[in-house]
Amino acid sequence: MREYRLFNSILVITAFVLVGAVFSVAEADTEVNCLICHKHRGLSRIDEQGKFRLYYINNEMFESGPHRRNKCHDCHSDKDRFPHDPTVKVDCTQQCHIVEPSGQAKFSHKPIADTLSKSVHGKFDADGNPKKYQEDYPGCKDCHDQPLYRPVSVYKGETKDGVSKRSIGRCRSCHRTGYFAEDFYDHVTSRLRRGRFPMETINVCAKCHQNQEFLKRHELDDAVTTYKETFHGKLIALGSERTADCLDCHVVEGENTHLIESKLVPTSATNKANIGNTCRNSDCHVNASAELSSFQVHVTYERDKYPMQFYMLIFFKALMAIILYFFLALIFFELLRRLFPKFSFIKEKKTSDDTDFEPLSDDADK
Amino acid sequence: MSKYDPIVMKDGKRYFYRFSAHQRIQHVVLFSSVLVLAVTGFPLRHVEEAWARPLYDFMGGPEIAPMIHRIAGSVLLVLFVYHTIYWIVGFIRNDLGKLKQENRLTVGSGIKAFFTQEMVPNMKDFRDIIHLWKYLLYFTNRPPRHERMSWREKFDYFAPYWGIPILGPAGAILWWRDEVSHVLPGWILNAAYIMHTDEALLAILFLFFVHWYNVHYAPEKFPAAKVWLTGYLTEDEMIHEHYAHYVQVMIEAGLEDEIKPQHFGGEHYEW
Repeated sequence: MREYRLFNSILVITAFVLVGAVFSVAEADTEVNCLICHKHRGLSRIDEQGKFRLYYINNEMFESGPHRRNKCHDCHSDKDRFPHDPTVKVDCTQQCHIVEPSGQAKFSHKPIADTLSKSVHGKFDADGNPKKYQEDYPGCKDCHDQPLYRPVSVYKGETKDGVSKRSIGRCRSCHRTGYFAEDFYDHVTSRLRRGRFPMETINVCAKCHQNQEFLKRHELDDAVTTYKETFHGKLIALGSERTADCLDCHVVEGENTHLIESKLVPTSATNKANIGNTCRNSDCHVNASAELSSFQVHVTYERDKYPMQFYMLIFFKALMAIILYFFLALIFFELLRRLFPKFSFIKEKKTSDDTDFEPLSDDADK
Repeated sequence: MSKYDPIVMKDGKRYFYRFSAHQRIQHVVLFSSVLVLAVTGFPLRHVEEAWARPLYDFMGGPEIAPMIHRIAGSVLLVLFVYHTIYWIVGFIRNDLGKLKQENRLTVGSGIKAFFTQEMVPNMKDFRDIIHLWKYLLYFTNRPPRHERMSWREKFDYFAPYWGIPILGPAGAILWWRDEVSHVLPGWILNAAYIMHTDEALLAILFLFFVHWYNVHYAPEKFPAAKVWLTGYLTEDEMIHEHYAHYVQVMIEAGLEDEIKPQHFGGEHYEW
């Protein structure tokens, strides 16, 4: 740990030394030019909890992300001097300087946060009381922690990542000023295809729902491991994007993704009343009956909860063990028998109906 | 009954008839479809393994491999039905037909004919198993003498006959899940899933370890037995695996004087 701290301070010092050298070439659209320091890859420290914190901002990545028109200060509004104090956690629900065009109001993620708080992931229960282990409930950044938006560019039937200059030419003929055309092209096209690969979605959920300590605290089954046992999970693990991931079943078709509800809530996608339609939604098992939904996805093979699966598994494992051990033992002893073909505890003599019989030992003696 | 000679001489060696071309072709169809099913199915069963993704991609990935798997499965099911009909037709024509010609066909004699079919397990198989264990544990110096079909071969034979009726319908239910849901509840898919994947593992492990030991790994067979191609066994194999049958065939061919003594394993593996 001490070496880390030392290494760390050296890095920070180096960073500040470099500040002078690069002052003139600093870029980025920030009124206080945060990238003067944050562009350096080594900018990091070990915090009070012993956690490694990286403060490097990859400008290229930032510039292609959904927040690129925000200035640093829009989110990190506590920064009022340079060098600044230890940072306060960003509040995604605060208003930023971007105007939402349909209502002309300042933009904020507050409606999303409100939806989230109504879902099974909200920090408070229906009566407004804080839930147990509040710190386990997710905020924005627990799921949205990486550049996930994948703008699509279609030109002459070819789909590529990023913005097609030729396509955007059509937007630019009217929307001439600034980055407006690019931004709205990104904004719209990123919603035309999946924001994430299914495997990324599963990994986001797995952060908590496959964490054994978390599962124990909340008395939950391992939803992710059990899901990965299904053909849905297996095909996705092998690169398919056409089977259901967590969100496809746990979000009502057409609903806000942030409104995942417990299956006990009547409006939930996985509630008994709705699950039939969830499986039969327009993209999946269209021709199935509602009965299909009695398929159990999160099977833990516990005897009390899943007796059929438990006993079937026992049956097949026992069958496999009996047959294979019997034959493997047979093969083993057969190979062993070849080592001493002449030997036997009991030598059998020729009998009258046995005229053709001559044991190997006699034969080999010749 | 058969257009094949029971004993064929080639380069001064005797070869003993075992499988007709018709049966050999059925075997080729059987193992080809099973191997295709294995390479398109097991990457899914073991997605976490390093080989799963490359093998699955090689077999066409999530879009194509399931299609190949279903085609191979359909071929296997058709073969299963075909073979069953083939067996029944053969039984009626050869055995019951013969009885009828001799005016001895009754319910009793028909049932008796069924139980004396070479593939139907009988008490001798049970005695042979005990006998073999006695031999393997050095309690006798005399290995069992098998008829035309030994109990191990019957086990090999009935393994698919047990496996396919479990794997096939379970696979079909998983394939036609949407349609099946109108007739059966969705949890039947949970049952079908366990039946399909666990029975497949048993089948493949049995195939790779036990059947392939019998025809590939055993010292006198290595690297591979040829009977599946030629349809004929060598005299060594015949003596080793089917001594009772060997003696009978030799006597029928009038070669009593040239019957060789029984031995265990290939002659050139004697120590």
